[in-house]
Amino acid sequence: MSEDSNSQPKNVLPDLIIPVMALVFTAYYLTTITEVPWIAQASAILVSAMLSAAIFAFAIRTYLRMRGGQERISWSAIEIDRVSTVKRIALLALTITYIAVIEYLGFTITTFLFVFSAVLLLSSLAHWRSALAVSFSCATLGYVVFIYFFQTRFPRGPVENFLKGVL
Amino acid sequence: MEMDAALAFELFTRTLSYWWLILIGTALGLVVGAIPGFSAANTIIILLPITLAMDPSSGMIFMVALYTASRLGAGIPAILVNIPGTAGAAATPLDGYPMAVAGRGQEALTISFVSSVLGGLITTIVALLLFPWLSQLAYHLHSVEMIVIMLFGISLIATISADDTLKGLIAGLFGLMIGYIGADVVYEAPRGTFGFLELYDKVPLIPALVGLFAISEAFVVIERETILSEAGRAEAASHGWSPTFDGVRATLKEWKEVVWTSLVGLVIGVIPGAGAAIASFVAYQQSRMFSKTPEKYGTGHINGLIAPESANNGVTSGTLIPLLIIGVPGGATAAIMAVVLEYHGVNFGPDLFETEPMIAYGSFTAMAFTYVLLGLMILPLSRYFARVMIVPTVYMVPILIAFTLVGSFVPRAYLFDMSVAIVFGIIGYIARRTGYHVAAILIGIILGPLLENYFLRALRISQGDMTVLFSSTLANVLWVALVLSLFGPAIKRWITKKWRA
Repeated sequence: MSEDSNSQPKNVLPDLIIPVMALVFTAYYLTTITEVPWIAQASAILVSAMLSAAIFAFAIRTYLRMRGGQERISWSAIEIDRVSTVKRIALLALTITYIAVIEYLGFTITTFLFVFSAVLLLSSLAHWRSALAVSFSCATLGYVVFIYFFQTRFPRGPVENFLKGVL
Repeated sequence: MEMDAALAFELFTRTLSYWWLILIGTALGLVVGAIPGFSAANTIIILLPITLAMDPSSGMIFMVALYTASRLGAGIPAILVNIPGTAGAAATPLDGYPMAVAGRGQEALTISFVSSVLGGLITTIVALLLFPWLSQLAYHLHSVEMIVIMLFGISLIATISADDTLKGLIAGLFGLMIGYIGADVVYEAPRGTFGFLELYDKVPLIPALVGLFAISEAFVVIERETILSEAGRAEAASHGWSPTFDGVRATLKEWKEVVWTSLVGLVIGVIPGAGAAIASFVAYQQSRMFSKTPEKYGTGHINGLIAPESANNGVTSGTLIPLLIIGVPGGATAAIMAVVLEYHGVNFGPDLFETEPMIAYGSFTAMAFTYVLLGLMILPLSRYFARVMIVPTVYMVPILIAFTLVGSFVPRAYLFDMSVAIVFGIIGYIARRTGYHVAAILIGIILGPLLENYFLRALRISQGDMTVLFSSTLANVLWVALVLSLFGPAIKRWITKKWRA
């Protein structure tokens, strides 16, 4: 790390995401146990109190470090590598689409399409031949091992239904 | 029937005659253990038509071989791609993965294999010799004692993130809260389920594990050419057989660590419902606590890999003891074994060792034989398995995401579970990027519901009296041991420092 980056106070805004998520979830959780007997509440109340105390201590520590000039909270100072971020968001979108369509297209087709598009995305469209080969191998191997041999309950679609009739 | 030389010889020769069955079970177990979402229990269920058609002793030998090998197989993806094959291997990546990233994947795999095989063999022999006494353990460990044992594992949360304990605590306690999602065991009241029926039965463990480890890791490594670090690539390029020999030597040098952590696994395995996840976390925590170099844990330390691997293989033989002696299965796989044996009219209990010695004693000899076979089979493969690490991330990431997501679907066959994996993937990604330990979150998710179950039971039995936690001698001894293991090393270091000063 360079001296310049050492002299800059660390932006701790991203570090607050997990504590905020934890606090919001804990508050929601506590609203769902108001009606249950106290014995069923005890453990969760104990843990939520400990969690709140830890987050409070974290907030105090952050405040003290901000006063000491070691840390800061800033929206503008979040460093983002744009290319990687775009790839990550696109990969997340592809992954969500994979889950959404696997019920209808089945494991084999969806896996082929997902692996093919994801390899193209991550290689910036550079390896379409190898993307085709890898995605075809994955889909075929997955079908043979998991559906044909292990008879697992992977989502079935047109390919699986067709092959079931043929094999 | 007492175990004598003649019986031992007969058991040995009969087990050897089933070598082909053990070989098939071992190969299958390695594969299913290495795939997240697949477990020995699932596979035995799928293969029920085959195992039910076999005679009971053949069926038991096959199931034991598959179960044993799956335990060892679960460590392979945990080390190479940071994805534990099962919850029992959840502590393995803590030191296994940093070793692999540094280009020491082959050595890490060898250490994992040798400590698993030795730990499994030692505990199988100990279980065979001491099973009448070990079976009594289950009668002495009630809810109160189990609460303290859980706390041994949970205390790892504080120590796992030594560089920022506060962040480690927040992550672990957040995990515990997530672990409390679902209906409670006593009143069946749904809590924190967001209205999803699929969460009434707690947060599904495999999707949580897949999300926190696999999905988040996949999103982190896409910037890199391979999973290996720059230095790791140079290290991995020079690999021959020497890392395998180094791994064997390093593990044998730490034989005391292998013995005692595998015995921790055996004792925890005997307790019905406890399981390999608790054993591996407790063993890791204990190993770190009593280490002279605790600061090295989590950075690719050999002992941090030996402890969970020896312990989770120690559980394997322990699980069989309550099943065979009192008919109470120690875990999901043992429960399915019980179903198969009951189908054949096998009655469990001490008489089983008289009436069906090939099943009772034979299960342990088959397990020992499987471990020997595993050692011979898998050690030479460590060199080739380690090559997974040099697959470019442009191919590795999509394959990992696709197969682990479908793996998270398999245990319950709910598409909902794949969405759970994505949610945990996002939480895991944020946690990794901001310095919160995903393993601390996972420890909370795994041990939280178990801790609450025992806590609820203890309070219900005592009608809400909290002093029940200190009501038994054994529990009090465990409390003292917990306090000593948490503060003992620090106090010892302080006294030594003062003495030297």
